[in-house]
Amino acid sequence: MKTISERTRALHPGGLGSALRSAWPVVAGVVVALVLQSVLAPAVGPFAAKMVLDIGIAIVLAVSLNIVNGFAGQFSIGHAGFMMVGGYAAAIVTYYGSIKLWGSPEPHGGFLGSGDLLFLFACVLGGCVAALAGLVVGLPSLRLRGDYLAIVTLGFGEIMRVLAQRSKDVLYPEDVAGKSMWEVSDNLGGALGFSGLPSYVSPTPWNEDTGHAGIFFVYLIVAIVLISAYRLKLSSKGRALLAVRENEIAAEAMGINTSRVKVAAFVMAAFFAGVGGALFAHEFGNTLTPRELGFQKSIDIVIMVVLGGMGSISGAVVAAAALTLMPELFREFAEYRMIIYALALILVMILRPQGLFGIKELWETTAWRRIRARIVRGKEAP
Amino acid sequence: MSEVLAARGLSLSFGGLRAVNDFSLSLGSSDLAGLIGPNGAGKTTVFNLLTGVYQPDAGSVLLDGKQVNGKKPSQIAAAGLARTFQNIRLFGELSVLDNVRTAAGVRTRSGLWRSLLRTPLYLAEERAVTERSLELLELLGIAHRREEQARSLPYGDQRRLEIARALATEPKVLLLDEPVAGMNSSEKVEMRGLIQTLRKQFDLAILLIEHDMGLVMDICEHITVLDHGMTIAAGKPAAIQSNPAVIEAYLGAPEDETTAESEAS
Amino acid sequence: MKLGGPVVMLGLLIVQHGFPKFLQTLVNSVALGSLYALIALGYTLVYGVLRFINFAHSDVFAVGAWLSFTFATAFGWVATSSPLWGMPLVLLLVMAACALLGVTIEILAYRPLRKAPRLNVLITAIGVSLFLQNVGQLSSVFGTQPQRMPSLIEDRSLFTIAQVHIRLVDVTVIALALALMMALQWMVFRTRLGRAMRAVSFDEKVASLMGINVNRVVTITFAIGSALAAAGGLLFALKYEGLKQTADATWVLLGLKAFVAAVVGGIGNVRGAVAGALLIGVVEVFGASYLSPHMRDVYVFVILIVVLLLKPSGILGKAVREKV
Repeated sequence: MKTISERTRALHPGGLGSALRSAWPVVAGVVVALVLQSVLAPAVGPFAAKMVLDIGIAIVLAVSLNIVNGFAGQFSIGHAGFMMVGGYAAAIVTYYGSIKLWGSPEPHGGFLGSGDLLFLFACVLGGCVAALAGLVVGLPSLRLRGDYLAIVTLGFGEIMRVLAQRSKDVLYPEDVAGKSMWEVSDNLGGALGFSGLPSYVSPTPWNEDTGHAGIFFVYLIVAIVLISAYRLKLSSKGRALLAVRENEIAAEAMGINTSRVKVAAFVMAAFFAGVGGALFAHEFGNTLTPRELGFQKSIDIVIMVVLGGMGSISGAVVAAAALTLMPELFREFAEYRMIIYALALILVMILRPQGLFGIKELWETTAWRRIRARIVRGKEAP
Repeated sequence: MSEVLAARGLSLSFGGLRAVNDFSLSLGSSDLAGLIGPNGAGKTTVFNLLTGVYQPDAGSVLLDGKQVNGKKPSQIAAAGLARTFQNIRLFGELSVLDNVRTAAGVRTRSGLWRSLLRTPLYLAEERAVTERSLELLELLGIAHRREEQARSLPYGDQRRLEIARALATEPKVLLLDEPVAGMNSSEKVEMRGLIQTLRKQFDLAILLIEHDMGLVMDICEHITVLDHGMTIAAGKPAAIQSNPAVIEAYLGAPEDETTAESEAS
Repeated sequence: MKLGGPVVMLGLLIVQHGFPKFLQTLVNSVALGSLYALIALGYTLVYGVLRFINFAHSDVFAVGAWLSFTFATAFGWVATSSPLWGMPLVLLLVMAACALLGVTIEILAYRPLRKAPRLNVLITAIGVSLFLQNVGQLSSVFGTQPQRMPSLIEDRSLFTIAQVHIRLVDVTVIALALALMMALQWMVFRTRLGRAMRAVSFDEKVASLMGINVNRVVTITFAIGSALAAAGGLLFALKYEGLKQTADATWVLLGLKAFVAAVVGGIGNVRGAVAGALLIGVVEVFGASYLSPHMRDVYVFVILIVVLLLKPSGILGKAVREKV
């Protein structure tokens, strides 16, 4: 039987065709984001558009948490801590950076103008700083598992919250002059939050006053997160993550460096959470406060992943969308919202321990297949 | 015939208990050897020492002439030592095919970036992994179950899948921990044929732990007998069968049965 | 020799900031440590028999504090008008109520998952925790308004050492916590029930083969742990008075620190929980009053991470290795 390297050589890797095939989902993602921005945003009005933004950000967070909780099976309940790290890091860039560049923290330039580019840079930077934090939090996962790891991640989130709370007041533009970025990096607004951030993620359609294409940016990142998570899941690296979750000892015995895999999962999840935090921080109507991104937020994201199915990307997407919409649809039951979530969590664990979809994607579930079969049969019938 | 796996004077204690004492072994390429002994003799502990799950207190393990003790199990597996588990350890929630593909992944070079960008090399490697994994499943006779969840397989097929998965790492040496435990006699005959086929087809050195004496005596060229962590005999099957120390270990002193039973696994 | 460092540090603290501040800090830290100990014991007992972290334990503690307030106000004891037997009565009531609550949680939520993977149990526990927090916040239950606990204990200083007034509340907290811990210690190590608990903790299967009713032991463990948490809740309410809504982060944080204490001491180990709780109390309060009050939570988690990385089984715990 031929070895894998012999086969790989025989399969003649290369060609423009395969490069295009690899790139088309990203192109499709950009197109979808543009369409959502230019068609959906004006059509549904600012309130619904804000919901669309919220859902997008929730998807980024749930899918990223799914990488570490669902794929790698390392239970993290401090995801909001990574959001916080990314959000604040990005906020420093856009707020103080804007002041230094243009003298005011207001959004600057038109679509994909200098302001938007600064914002995108801030998102990536926020992700990178969060990834660094993910590396630090990932290290204990090498020695701890299950409940212990959960507590450490929780502790991390709390420490981040405390650190953000005791930061100094945000500086007004006139006070920034003459200070380096490093000097202002502790002026994050303390417990009251980092106010006055430019809202690059706004629900408004094109070309209005602050016409920065929020939906476009959010869904561009949603597309990148979804493509990355899905490709990861189907790759050897992704299977290595799942193997660690399923049986760590066997995974190690099959040549999988479980330590590295676990830390990598934390880093990747933290990166996307950091980007999500950056989006959240710059979303119109939000204030970046330590309280907002505390334990409760982490739990919200955990609920999305658990209900959607540990390891199911589409499940996380559906759960993120549903759990974001629900409180808006049932405003009069606001008091009962968390009670219902709590009961749902308990019941799902007792009745369907693997989550609603388990590891499967929506289209792999038997229910979906049955429905599709019925539709196909229905069409064939005259 | 060159030596692919060697153990020299391996010893390990748990607390005050000597689990394995001065264990030595030499396996040439495409050797088929057996490791037997009563319950609690320390057989699985030897496997754990060879594969790096435990670190020996003394002694060394050489794979292809290079020392591997002190390395992580994953490094040892990558160096060409694969194993199965007595208490089956499959990736239960994954499909049968994915169990094998996961193990085959160790022979790919594409990292995270290539996987996310789906570069040509990555795509070729994934196809190679899938092809080879399917062929392995075919060889083990469980290809028709490739889409099923590993945990839903019948017991015998789970053991086969463990072997397929171990082979997917392209090993030079395969350690089988009780490959026919819990199988009926026709399954055992099949497995015996299979082990011999594998060894020929992959030019594999195989070391197996087994309680089924018939199987061991039948197919192994060399047998090592452990009792209470000590090697009490080693040699050809015929010599082992008539060795008085072995007979006593298995049949003798009944009070021995109750001791050290629990440390077997 | 090992004590050399800490002793020198203590000496320095006393010389630099004076003895009164040191003594006051010490009293505060031991009082806080005793509270943590009462909660930590619940975590450690449940972990001992079921090997899982009862995430909802901190909420039972919060419910204990709120119930204390409810009972006290229901009896009409506002301010200082409560009778001498008021505090013991409230103590018994909340302990009984929370024991019942703990048992209900165990039977309804955890028992169906006895054989499930640990992750599922952990998630269920988070669910129970959220449930308690948010039911507690309903306007028909405790509501979302912060409340002030009526002082069931006279607010006066019992005696004075080196100009430091030792308050009756602090003495009550420490003495009561100590009494409950000693009762637990006696129960675990001197009674049949305690022996059964230790047997279940050692090996559930073997214990049930030996004729021990495992379910009953688990139920009683939850009852005891929850009752201790309730006592902690009452003492917390007496000492700190301000009660925030049940989903407030302060409760989670208190529970978390108690849990940290249990882990630091070696989870599953009764004496370890007490030792860990005192350590955490001392580190937190001394850190807060001598270094920076804002960072008190950070000190605790730093200790946790250090202990887990150096000796994951805790100070008094013993290591277990997984079978391969």
